[in-house]
Amino acid sequence: MKRRVEQVVVVGADAPVWMTAAAIYSSFGRGVRLRVVELPSHLRPVDVYSTLPPLAGLHNRLGLDEALLFSVCKAVPVAGQRFSNWSGAGAPFIRGHDDSPPVGGGDLSFSQLWIKGRQQGLRTAFENFSPGAMAAKAGRVPIPTERAELRSAYGYGLDAAAYTALLKHFVTGGGVESKSATIADVERDGDFISAIVLADGERIEADLFVDASGPQAVLIGRMPGTEFESWREWLPCDRMLLASGNALRPYPGFSQISAFGQGWVGLFPLQDRTAIAAVFDSREISAKDLLDKLPVLAGLPIAGEAVVSNLAPGIRQRTWVGNCVAVGESAFSLDPLDAAQLHIAHTCISHLMTLFPVEAAAFPEAELYDEIIRRTAVNLRDFQAAHYKLNRRFDDPLWDRCRDTAAPQTLQRKLDIFAARGRIPLYDDETFQEHDWESLFIGHGLIPQSYDPRVDAVSDQDQIAAVNRRLQDIVELVGAMPTIDQFLSCSPAPELTEVAHDA
Amino acid sequence: MNEPLNIVILGGGTAGWMAAAGLVSLIPPGRCRVRLVESEEIGIVGVGEATFPEIKNFNDAIGVDEAEMMRATQAAFKLGIEFVDWGFEGSRYIHPFGVHGPANMAHIFHHLWVRARQLGLNSDIEDYSFAAQAARSCRFELPDAHRPAINSAYTYAYHFDAGLYSRYLRGLAEGRGVIRTEGKVQRVAQDPETGDISSLELESGETISGDLFIDCSGFRSLLLGETLGAGWEDWSKWLVCDRALAVPSERDELSPYTRSTAMEAGWRWRIPLQHRTGNGYVFSSHFIDDDEAASSLLRSLETKAVGEPRLLKFQSGRRVVNWKNNCVAVGLASGFLEPLESTSIYLVQIAIMQLIPLLPSKTVDPRLRDEFNRLMDLQYERIRDFLILHYKLTSRDDAEIWRYCAAMEVPDSLTRKIELFRHSGIIERYREGLFTPISWLSVFTGQGLIPESYSPLADATPDEKLVAQMDQFRSDLRDRAEEMLPHDRFIDRYCNAQSAAAVEARP
Repeated sequence: MKRRVEQVVVVGADAPVWMTAAAIYSSFGRGVRLRVVELPSHLRPVDVYSTLPPLAGLHNRLGLDEALLFSVCKAVPVAGQRFSNWSGAGAPFIRGHDDSPPVGGGDLSFSQLWIKGRQQGLRTAFENFSPGAMAAKAGRVPIPTERAELRSAYGYGLDAAAYTALLKHFVTGGGVESKSATIADVERDGDFISAIVLADGERIEADLFVDASGPQAVLIGRMPGTEFESWREWLPCDRMLLASGNALRPYPGFSQISAFGQGWVGLFPLQDRTAIAAVFDSREISAKDLLDKLPVLAGLPIAGEAVVSNLAPGIRQRTWVGNCVAVGESAFSLDPLDAAQLHIAHTCISHLMTLFPVEAAAFPEAELYDEIIRRTAVNLRDFQAAHYKLNRRFDDPLWDRCRDTAAPQTLQRKLDIFAARGRIPLYDDETFQEHDWESLFIGHGLIPQSYDPRVDAVSDQDQIAAVNRRLQDIVELVGAMPTIDQFLSCSPAPELTEVAHDA
Repeated sequence: MNEPLNIVILGGGTAGWMAAAGLVSLIPPGRCRVRLVESEEIGIVGVGEATFPEIKNFNDAIGVDEAEMMRATQAAFKLGIEFVDWGFEGSRYIHPFGVHGPANMAHIFHHLWVRARQLGLNSDIEDYSFAAQAARSCRFELPDAHRPAINSAYTYAYHFDAGLYSRYLRGLAEGRGVIRTEGKVQRVAQDPETGDISSLELESGETISGDLFIDCSGFRSLLLGETLGAGWEDWSKWLVCDRALAVPSERDELSPYTRSTAMEAGWRWRIPLQHRTGNGYVFSSHFIDDDEAASSLLRSLETKAVGEPRLLKFQSGRRVVNWKNNCVAVGLASGFLEPLESTSIYLVQIAIMQLIPLLPSKTVDPRLRDEFNRLMDLQYERIRDFLILHYKLTSRDDAEIWRYCAAMEVPDSLTRKIELFRHSGIIERYREGLFTPISWLSVFTGQGLIPESYSPLADATPDEKLVAQMDQFRSDLRDRAEEMLPHDRFIDRYCNAQSAAAVEARP
């Protein structure tokens, strides 16, 4: 009889470590003995997590009440992200969190009708056909609808420290053992970790070690063959300046992402403040100079401290070696664009749950996990790299360089096919779907040269009617959505103790 | 408005007429004109009489009336494929067109099943497939998509006479404006600089010029292979069969599934149609000679043969590109995979449905061409691996072919799939490609590979409850399957090819 994986140790800090622990605990319960080694937090009061809609799925599986996010984490639901100043004189655009691709009849995506309409003189911007974008623009919160082609969803801006505390409360309240510590040593036997030794001398053995320590990669970084591969070529920013301003009222329905000469600045609405993140290339500007400019770039005064951190987008050559598996930014890092940060942890955790190892002596799941994580990471990287590649800010050295650098081949194919025909070749393990890529590309000004010939089977009259009907449907739908204020005031505020569940 | 694209299709078999019907039905006349050149002297390879459920999407997209098409092609329904003696002698399993277990548990069900087996449950995975159970009891009804019940969790395909299907599509395509020219190609004219095909010169002296040529010339691959020199990638070391003998026999039980029975040097198909049963023996000439194979086939028939067995020769493999210059190959001109999983017509369909959205203008945009080729690569390679699995995963040692296959080296991607499933029931997923985890699960387990372990996610339900739930589901499934009409009676009501009154009786 083979020995099953029974002892699991999760090492890391902040939300990723508790997300991982919560997922393992709620999926396998007492089937495994789970211990958390909590490393010192990197979070400061200014930190924010900007999240994508699928995170709600994780919360549901964990049984985490969304109302707590609003009451404890000061979350504001946002249905999209607004991009401005990425293309010189080009108009800003909103990429809405739409749920499903718009349907233009049969298996045609709605964008095909729009491309043809545009060639015939339609001047309505693409975002007007996105329910998420229009909800965001109106400061409203998407609600469920029967009609799949009109569905949209929301992500959150979350206070990072409060969210981490909430998850920790949830996990430790469930009886999971945890200990705050630092790692003094990792005892290895070839590709396997036999034990970790904490700074206080405690030695912990386990069948599986999960590294959720972020870019520090305290475990996976010590494993053979896990060299870091940098993606700075395509994601050039290496610093982030974080600060806070006053809350914007009424709450905007989107995160604002504005490019400037040396990077971009993001405004993430929270209930009690606005998180401000300036992401930049340190070769182009110093943090000190940027801090001086920040109130102007953000368009609001800075309240309180501002802190700088390093960014290093890239991936480890291997993300699961022996009995050590990396989740979150210990596996790969990205630019903070597109609410990627927590999504990295979320996607890794989901795959670890499906590929959770069953045998303590051999981990054939590792190779598949590694491939899936790499594909997921590359697809996400490409999505972010497209923002940089498609910029039209001329005469800023950073932005000129971004346009001139050859895109990764996987992205170039998407750009090519889209430019030629308005189609998106999707690969395995894509986070963003066809309609996400379409709104990204079109928003940045990449307009397809031709469209699917099947569109011509629709008469001009029907085509115009379909376009107008969708506009009208979205106007009506958004009109029926609550404003963010109405939505938040309807959300009950449960006591935090309620999350302590049966162990 | 640009001039319409002139499309010339060479060859009028299933591939040619599906391409013609697809193009003329989905693209308006202002965008393309379709001509088809075929010769009645050139025989049609009509092996693919069994289809995959995707065919219904194609028919629906081009506006085919299902019952009418079924009457015209002597068609019957198909809920899956039964594999007999594959894996080991005496084995029987169904690869069904539908999920195992409750539809909302598809991601975890087989792990629960493995766990229940370890607890002593004695059952096969197909016991939890509605499509398989309906097939076993020879019953059929159309799935009810509006009811989230057991009987919505399946799809279906057809058995039909492929010759009649092409004839049916020909009528449809010609009615919608496709111009057919009878004739044989004498010479293919090419642009001296680009190598693009400019026209086909026929023996009659007629010249047919075009912007885009679709090569449906079958194994000969006259345009893509012979004229443009697209290379051939040989897969016969993995898929060793290189011959097929086909013979119809008199109608017997109208079972709603294809049967594939492993033989001494290959395998034999049985495809029941309304008017007869299609039979054939796919074999390797390395392991048996033609005469022996023919007598083996005839001996195995359940009803009287109608005519003499017809021999086909082939090699498994494909053209390294399916679209070169201004020529796209569809069907056998683009490659061949044996009909073990009824994929021939699917490969025709997917080529057409991927070509249409990427259809070029008068000049070929290499970006569109490369994308088409990339998508077809994925389709071919993934089907190839799935077919190899049937041969590789065998413990038969009673014949040379099976010993060879069990020992052969297979692509690394396939080895890993087998090992991960063996280890803990993990099934890899992919976006492009016909076979879903349901298919992989059916063949893995049907050919005797039971996972040694299962995902710990399946540990949530207590032991006693698990086995009881599995038993309950299985018996609900059987009860519901037994409520359906016998397949032959359903056919009589819905699409009887003989009965003119069938139209009135349609539900």
